[in-house]
Amino acid sequence: MLWMANPRLLAIPQLGFIGLFLYGFLAIAWSSFFPDGVFSLDIYASFISEKTYQDILLRTIQVSLWTSAFCVLLGYPLAYFLARARNTELMLLILISPWLVSIVVRTFGWMLILGNVGVINKSILALGIVELPVRMMFNTTGVIIGLVHVLLPLMVVCILSVLVKADRALEEAAGSLGATPLQTFVRVIWPISLPGVYNGVLLVFLVAMGAIVTPILLGGFRQTMVGSQVFQEVFMLFNFPRAAAYAVVLLIVSFVMVIPILLHDRHLRRKRSS
Amino acid sequence: MAGTWGKMNSIDRSMATIAVIVLFLLPAPLFFVAWVSFSGEQFLRIPPRDYSMRWYIEFLSSPKWMYSLAVSTILGLVVAVVTTATALFAALAAERMRSGTRGMLEFFIMLPLLFPAAAMAIALRAVNDQLDINATFIGVMIAHVVICGPFAYRPISVNLQALDPSTREAAMSLGASPLYALWRVILPQMKPGLITSLWFSFIISFDEVNVTMFLVGINFTTLPVQTYAHLADSGDPIVAAISVFLIVITLLLVILLQRTVGLRMLVNSESRVSEIQQGK
Repeated sequence: MLWMANPRLLAIPQLGFIGLFLYGFLAIAWSSFFPDGVFSLDIYASFISEKTYQDILLRTIQVSLWTSAFCVLLGYPLAYFLARARNTELMLLILISPWLVSIVVRTFGWMLILGNVGVINKSILALGIVELPVRMMFNTTGVIIGLVHVLLPLMVVCILSVLVKADRALEEAAGSLGATPLQTFVRVIWPISLPGVYNGVLLVFLVAMGAIVTPILLGGFRQTMVGSQVFQEVFMLFNFPRAAAYAVVLLIVSFVMVIPILLHDRHLRRKRSS
Repeated sequence: MAGTWGKMNSIDRSMATIAVIVLFLLPAPLFFVAWVSFSGEQFLRIPPRDYSMRWYIEFLSSPKWMYSLAVSTILGLVVAVVTTATALFAALAAERMRSGTRGMLEFFIMLPLLFPAAAMAIALRAVNDQLDINATFIGVMIAHVVICGPFAYRPISVNLQALDPSTREAAMSLGASPLYALWRVILPQMKPGLITSLWFSFIISFDEVNVTMFLVGINFTTLPVQTYAHLADSGDPIVAAISVFLIVITLLLVILLQRTVGLRMLVNSESRVSEIQQGK
């Protein structure tokens, strides 16, 4: 058999699947320049000139940034706590189980909580805090809440994977040299965990940028994000070239947004290894 | 940790406080889902006026829902086996490459992680249209293998690198063929990596909806996509009953993994985007 002579050929099946996918991406990128069979930059021009399209893109970036920020704020303490907890397996069970439940199910849970006749509104109406239901769904707030819940465990796992490997002796050394807990955290623990935070932010940001189901169910079709807009273009407006152009713009924008983090992460690694 | 509260410093305490609140909030939406799933009413209402098992019975006795449940289960199993096999082959190939070539290979393997779901969905839809396999089992399977690839490769590659190369060399120098050495010496030591990969791929495939919803049709759909579609255009509590069913399956799978290789494997093999760019 050929692969025994050259084991490197074993990479072919996996590369075949990826190649097929990349071919698909290049094909749609190409088709977005030929919306009616002839070359045209109209779709891309409308992204730049028309406010509706600008808003969709800006809203997507804004929601993804907020989602990443909240995931760090809530996820870091959880990872920190889990890294020190004695019964890590049990805690991981509580963390990981909701993470792996389908996003449709989890988003549905938030619809029950945030809706106009949902748990929160029913409670505050009954308590007389408000007189009319507060709108928590079908706006960006609802989408951010849903996405944070969906992506938080991913962030925690990323930070945790760095924190569990960190050497506790460093902290103890800092403490015995007279550093306050805050100083130890800011100057020892946080820098060690930064690569994990970066990795988490990258993954969470990228997933949030491309999310479809959560923005549709919690955000609706009026104030769309790129994901829900792409869905609308394909299934309601039947405008495949525009959906393709969205996919291209989404990939480029996401990548440009994560470059600073990638560069700083690389800088940190260089510094550490030298 | 609970008993050591007095010995904790201020940072530890504030972190622990937030952590405990978050740990309680994470499963909260699922409890509300479970609550309404026992509704006896025609429409979703929280809290329900009366309770029954009717929506569970409706789900379990509906050929439409059972069909998509079967599709998702078989799809998950096939995707898990195919992805794990291709990832194992790729990891074995990577092992024999010079570091530059290896970096390139791993860059391509991890590449799907960089694509936001919406971009991926459109690209894979184009592939399926082109090959005329839209709304078919094979079309969705190809998409899922691409999506699961990075998650399957990481645990396998980590596991493979941790092996002692001398055991295989010993086997080969005693006259074992490369295939025999792979089967009897390497694979038995790869159990944690392979189980994590199989398990991760099954769960991702079984739950995937963002990309899959672009690849299904009237006659072929998966359980999560059908659940989404039902949720988007009707208001009956059957989605809650199905959700509880999905939650229970996921819980059982998580406990299964915990019992076989432990959950730490998930933390240790988390895919790193930065490594794509590092090329290592």
